[in-house]
Amino acid sequence: MRRSCFALAVLATLAAAPRARAVVTAQIFGPGSESFPIAVVPLKNLGGDAGGVTGARFAQILSHDLDLSGYFRLLDPKTFIEDQSSGITAPEIDFVGWGALGAQALVKGGVTVTGEAVTVEVRLFDVPGRQDVPQASRRYSGPRDDLPRMAHKTADAILEFLTGERGPFDSSIALVSTRAGRLKDVYRLTFDQDDPVRVTDERSLVVNPRWRPDARAILFTSYREHFPHLFQVELPARRVARVVPGPGEVLDGAWSPDGSRLLVTRVQGGNSDIFLVDRAGQVLKQLTDHWAIDVAPAWAPDGRRFAFCSARAGSPQIYMMSVEGGSATRVSTSGSYNTSPAWSPKGDRLAWTTRASGGFQIVVAAADGSGPRTITAAGSNENPSWAPDGRYVVFSSTRAGRVHLFLADRDGRTQKQLTRGAADDTSPAWSPRLD
Amino acid sequence: MKAWWTWRLALAVLLLLPLAGGCKKKGPRPGELGAGGAGAGLGEEAIGGGSSLERAKRGLGPEEDGVLGDVHFGFDSYEIDGAARDVLARNADWLRKNPRAKIELEGHTDSRGTIEYNLALGAKRAKAVKDQLVGQGIAAERISTISYGKELPLCHEEDETCWARNRRVHSVILGQ
Repeated sequence: MRRSCFALAVLATLAAAPRARAVVTAQIFGPGSESFPIAVVPLKNLGGDAGGVTGARFAQILSHDLDLSGYFRLLDPKTFIEDQSSGITAPEIDFVGWGALGAQALVKGGVTVTGEAVTVEVRLFDVPGRQDVPQASRRYSGPRDDLPRMAHKTADAILEFLTGERGPFDSSIALVSTRAGRLKDVYRLTFDQDDPVRVTDERSLVVNPRWRPDARAILFTSYREHFPHLFQVELPARRVARVVPGPGEVLDGAWSPDGSRLLVTRVQGGNSDIFLVDRAGQVLKQLTDHWAIDVAPAWAPDGRRFAFCSARAGSPQIYMMSVEGGSATRVSTSGSYNTSPAWSPKGDRLAWTTRASGGFQIVVAAADGSGPRTITAAGSNENPSWAPDGRYVVFSSTRAGRVHLFLADRDGRTQKQLTRGAADDTSPAWSPRLD
Repeated sequence: MKAWWTWRLALAVLLLLPLAGGCKKKGPRPGELGAGGAGAGLGEEAIGGGSSLERAKRGLGPEEDGVLGDVHFGFDSYEIDGAARDVLARNADWLRKNPRAKIELEGHTDSRGTIEYNLALGAKRAKAVKDQLVGQGIAAERISTISYGKELPLCHEEDETCWARNRRVHSVILGQ
C-alpha cells in the first residue's frame, strides 16, 4: 500500500519504456531483467569506522545480494558522483546528478563502530522522486559479527519494498563439498562468503544435507560407522549425533515443517522405502512398500503430503503421497528420468532434476506437476532446493567445469554462480529464514 | 557394527596367513585365485583391496576387479546380464573354494543422475549380485552389501567407456 508509491512508479517507468532514457530497458521488471539501476554507496563513517572499512564491507555485501536477485543493475562505484563521506539525508543528495548517471534508486547510510558493537542506518532513496523511502530504510545495532546479516536484512527489505516479496538472503545454504583435500563434509555458505565454511569433521562420505526447520541443525547421511546412517549436526556448536538408531541403513532424511517427525529412506534387503519416524528415530509408519526404488522424500509445507522419487513405473519419476499413507500419485508426466523433488516453501510449486538430451536439468512445475518448465540449459544441473521466499532455487551445476552451486529464479531468467574453486560442491539445501 | 573395524584391521593378517603357510586346512593355493585376472602377485591383490571408502580415506582410488571380478550393469539397471553371469560364476567358484571367506559387495553407479537415487540404485545392484551368489549356493551370511552410489567412481570422464566401468558391483574380501 504505502510501499506502492515508488514501487508502482518503478513499474510504470519500466512499462513506459519507449519514452524512457537509455538506462531503462524494454524488459519487464523481474528476476533476470537486471533492469533497475541502483547505486549503493559505502556507508559514511559516523564514528569509529577507521578507513571506512565497515561501511565499505556493508555496501559490498548488500550490492552482492541485490545483484544475485537479478532485478538490479548495480552502478559502477567508480562512476559515483558522491563518495563515502558525502551527506546521507535527502536535502544533501544530488538527485539530479545521480539521475544523470542513470540511477533510479540510491542506497546511502551511516555506520558507527564502538568497540565490538556496530550500528548501521541505511536509507533507500527514490532518485526521480528526490526523496527517501522510509519503508525500505533500516537501522540495526549489534555485535560487529552481525554486520553481514544487517546487510542481508537490508537487501531483503529493499526487495520486499520493490517486489512485494521479502528477499531470501538472510539465510544460508548447506552443502557437501570436497574442499581442502578432504573426502566429503557438510559445509555452510552464507551470501557474504566467497567460500563455504566446513561444519562437520566426518573424514568419510557424507550425502544429502537437509535443514531442521529452525535452521539450527543440519541432517545428513554419513558413512562414518561404515554403513550409511542419519546424523544431525547442531549449529553453532557443531555437535553431531545419530538421529535414527540401530543398524538399519538410511540414505536420506527430512524434518517435517513443524519439526516433530522425519521422513527417511531406509534400505532393507537392498530395497529402499520411505518411513515416517519420530524425533527419536523410532518408526511410526512405513509409507512405501514397493520392490522398486523409493527415495528422496520432500515434505510439503502443509506437513500433510510429501513428494518422493520412485522407479515403480520402470524409470525414476516424481510421486506424491499422504503422510498418512495410501496410494501414490505420479506428478512428473514427461521425461524418462525425474529425481530429487523439492517443495517450494510457498507450497505452490515443485522443482526436480530431469534427464534431458544426455544431461540433467532443473524443472519447476506447479505442485500437481502441471506446467513443467526447464529452467537450466548449460551443463548438468542437479538437486534443486528452494529459497525461503519461493522465488529462487539453488542447485549444483557442471557448467563452469567442476561441480559448483548456482542460483536461478524459478523462471530461469537469472542464473548466478555461488561457489568457485577446485572442489566439488554438491547437494545444496537452502535454509529457512534465520528469523 | 564395531566388528567392521576389527575385520579391517585383521584383514592383512588373515589374508597373509595362507601365503605364509600358516593356514593348513582350507587356505587357498595361489593357483586357485586367478578368477579376477589377478595372475601373479596374489598377496598384493588380496591385501591391496580394501573397501573403496577405506581406500579413499587413504587417498587411493577404488580398486577395479581384484581376486573377484567386477560385475557390470546397464544405465539405471540392476539386471544381471550374460557377461555379468560369467563373472558371477567365477566369483561363486572362488567362494566355494574358499569357504571361510566373507565378502562385501559394493554397489556403484556412473556419474549420471542424482546422488540419492544412485545410492538406492547401488543398493539394488549389490543385492542383485548377492541374490545370484546365494542362488549358486553361497551362504547369505558370508555376503554383506553396501551402496556408494556415484560417490566413489573409478574414473571421472563423461563418456560411455568410463560410465560403463563405474556401473559395477565390486567385491571386497573381508577375511577368511
